[in-house]
Amino acid sequence: MHEELLAGRVRGSTVLELRGITKRYPGVVANDAIDFEMRAGEIHAILGENGAGKTTLMKIVYGLMQPDEGEIYVGGQKVKLQSPLDAIQLGIGMVHQNRKLVNAHTVMENIILGHPNAGRVLNLKRAEEEIDELCRRYGFSVDLKASVWQLSEGEKQVVEILKALHRGAKILILDEPTSALAPPETKKLLTSVEAMADDELAIIPFITHKLPIVLSTSHRITVLRRGRVIARVDTARATEQSLAREMVGREVMFQVERPVVETGKPVLQVEKLSALSSRGFMAVKDVSFTVREGEIFGIAGVSGNGQHELAEVLAGLRKAEAGKVTLDGTEITDALPIKRWQAGLGYIPSERNEVGSIGDFTLVENVAMNYYFDDTFTHRGIMDYGSIRKLTEDLIADYGVATPNADVKGKNLSGGNLQKIILARVLNRNPRLVIANLPTQGLDVGATEFVQNKLIEAKKNKAAVLLISEDLDEIMAISDWIAPMYEGEFMAIVSADNADREQIGAMMAGLRLERQEQ
Amino acid sequence: MWEFIARSLEASTIFTLAALGELLGQRSGILNVGIEGIMLFGATFGFMAAQNSDSYAVGFAVAILVGALLGSLHGFFSITLGVDQVVSGMGIWILGFGLTTFIGNPYTGPLGMDRIPTIAGFSPFFILSVVLVAVMWFVLAKTSLGLRIRSVGENPSVAEVSGINVARTRYMCVVVGGMLMGFAGAVYSLDYNPVWNYNFLMGWGFIALALVFFSLWNPWILLGGSLLFGFLWQLSLNPQLFLPGVFSRYIWRTVPFVITLLVLLVMSTKWFRAKWGSAKPEALGEPYVKG
Repeated sequence: MHEELLAGRVRGSTVLELRGITKRYPGVVANDAIDFEMRAGEIHAILGENGAGKTTLMKIVYGLMQPDEGEIYVGGQKVKLQSPLDAIQLGIGMVHQNRKLVNAHTVMENIILGHPNAGRVLNLKRAEEEIDELCRRYGFSVDLKASVWQLSEGEKQVVEILKALHRGAKILILDEPTSALAPPETKKLLTSVEAMADDELAIIPFITHKLPIVLSTSHRITVLRRGRVIARVDTARATEQSLAREMVGREVMFQVERPVVETGKPVLQVEKLSALSSRGFMAVKDVSFTVREGEIFGIAGVSGNGQHELAEVLAGLRKAEAGKVTLDGTEITDALPIKRWQAGLGYIPSERNEVGSIGDFTLVENVAMNYYFDDTFTHRGIMDYGSIRKLTEDLIADYGVATPNADVKGKNLSGGNLQKIILARVLNRNPRLVIANLPTQGLDVGATEFVQNKLIEAKKNKAAVLLISEDLDEIMAISDWIAPMYEGEFMAIVSADNADREQIGAMMAGLRLERQEQ
Repeated sequence: MWEFIARSLEASTIFTLAALGELLGQRSGILNVGIEGIMLFGATFGFMAAQNSDSYAVGFAVAILVGALLGSLHGFFSITLGVDQVVSGMGIWILGFGLTTFIGNPYTGPLGMDRIPTIAGFSPFFILSVVLVAVMWFVLAKTSLGLRIRSVGENPSVAEVSGINVARTRYMCVVVGGMLMGFAGAVYSLDYNPVWNYNFLMGWGFIALALVFFSLWNPWILLGGSLLFGFLWQLSLNPQLFLPGVFSRYIWRTVPFVITLLVLLVMSTKWFRAKWGSAKPEALGEPYVKG
């Protein structure tokens, strides 16, 4: 009904305008009088830390949520967005970070789901032609007959973009578009995004970090902090430093220092380790490496390349199919997790809400999860909650966890604060080996910096640290050894001193290099 | 022998109709374990209506209507109120068991109407059930409505952002599903065995429920499975026909469940999941809360 609002748009004309958007939650103003304007053919990034109000704003623009105050104009006309359907019909499309796709369905079925012209009896032939045309124009390639659960994260994102475009989106919201992509995939995506902008589409990426990408691709940037627009700049006049300062509200050190610590004897030794994924594929193939005292070994990989399974095998949560794992000279390949914790292994799982903590437990109880087997805190099976509470309160103070008290439930903490508690309870045991799986995923700039510094501190205390991350910049910044992982194998093990960013990015996408001696 | 086969097909017809109703609901994400209860209701009210009005049409219409009402009752509990679907379904079964025993008791005995004529030796309902299988497959696999139903059963929040009304789609499926179950009950009490007795079904609904899992949610496999299960059921009534003295009727009656268990076992293997993914609708049994 409204589609014609954006039909006659020309480059540079305003397609979307927000005036004074305000949204309040009990105790918080998530969006405080936000003004925003979007032109055809423009890539206009919205930057902000977690909790800056990005998600709320995004939901308002996509009709998932209604503002308490403020007006939205599409193509110069005032509109009301009561549901995603309203937004879609006005030509607003959304690419979700946690993909909104039906896993069991084919790519084609996902793209045409809910399309008004899909036909009562599905007209797949016409849809296929239309989708092929979109792929050709913007440089996407995807197998329409594949089921979504078989696709990589990057491919799933392409499916979401195609779905939005096929529904006629002229304004495209991208939620953290590059967060799960390997560098070459990112490059491909950016080329496509630029092609779309050349076609007079308006692109709004919402981004928490990855400032270099924002600087290289966008035309304008709006920075949010605590629900307010802090800055609106032409990208040409912004720098990484200026943007980070505006996001965080203080200077941010981008160069986390990487102190050189004298490395000691090997702590973790992995020899020809193989493991299956939950789907039954060989996810870890013949991996060998060593992590010594006082060093950080970084595994860089796009999610789904076996690093998650590797971490689980080392933590004793998944069976090794072949190979050998030793911790301080003792074989632990098939040891129970509890034996590993007692031998000095500290594990920080990637899903901090599902595996790392129990949402309905208080912080005291969550901390107790790592100490229930420790004689200092239990006597003949009876927990000494008094000392655990004391410990928890100390940890809260030491790590600067923002919480009213130690009896708050885990689920009520923000991601960054929850991660601090998980980190604190592991590091406080002075583990010999720390396995940190995606420790900064989804955290904002400030919390990320904190977590990284704590890992470096552990390294200074002679722990061996195994860092698994999808963020190549993070790996490059703090690791001493870097292993790009692709389809279950290490493409190389490179010393950080002679690591080349481009090359490691290419290896994360499968390019193999001569294995260097460690 | 022909009579045995014809009776088997009639039994299969009832399984097919009821299981199709269950399959439709499950594809939309709603598990209804009260299928036996809805069949009892449909069978009993259909029987009473037919006897009182001396019209099969009235009997079937009442059975379908009763099925629709119970389907929407299950929908109200599981969709609108978000109650645990197993609990709601069990409630409907127990209600059906108790209430039909109470209400139907004065009607104990034969229907006393002319039998429904056969077409070339086949029960007309058998032919209808095969047609309905084809229709169900076509709707689910080839139409936009079917895609919407399947999406709602796999991932309702995705369906919602794609502009689909999740609650309405699910209601439609459980109501139509309930109609099919009520109808299946009436085919039992008006055609297959037109005698009313207390708790006469004795597990037909549960076999139909097992059949849906057996079918991997595919109408054609469901039809194949119901032919097999119908045959096994008929065998349980005449255990002397095959391997006399080896299996009692009670053993034969458990065979469909054993087969279903085997299918579920295969489905849960790594091999199956790697090749086919998960056949089960992902959101099956989970209440969807908007937001």
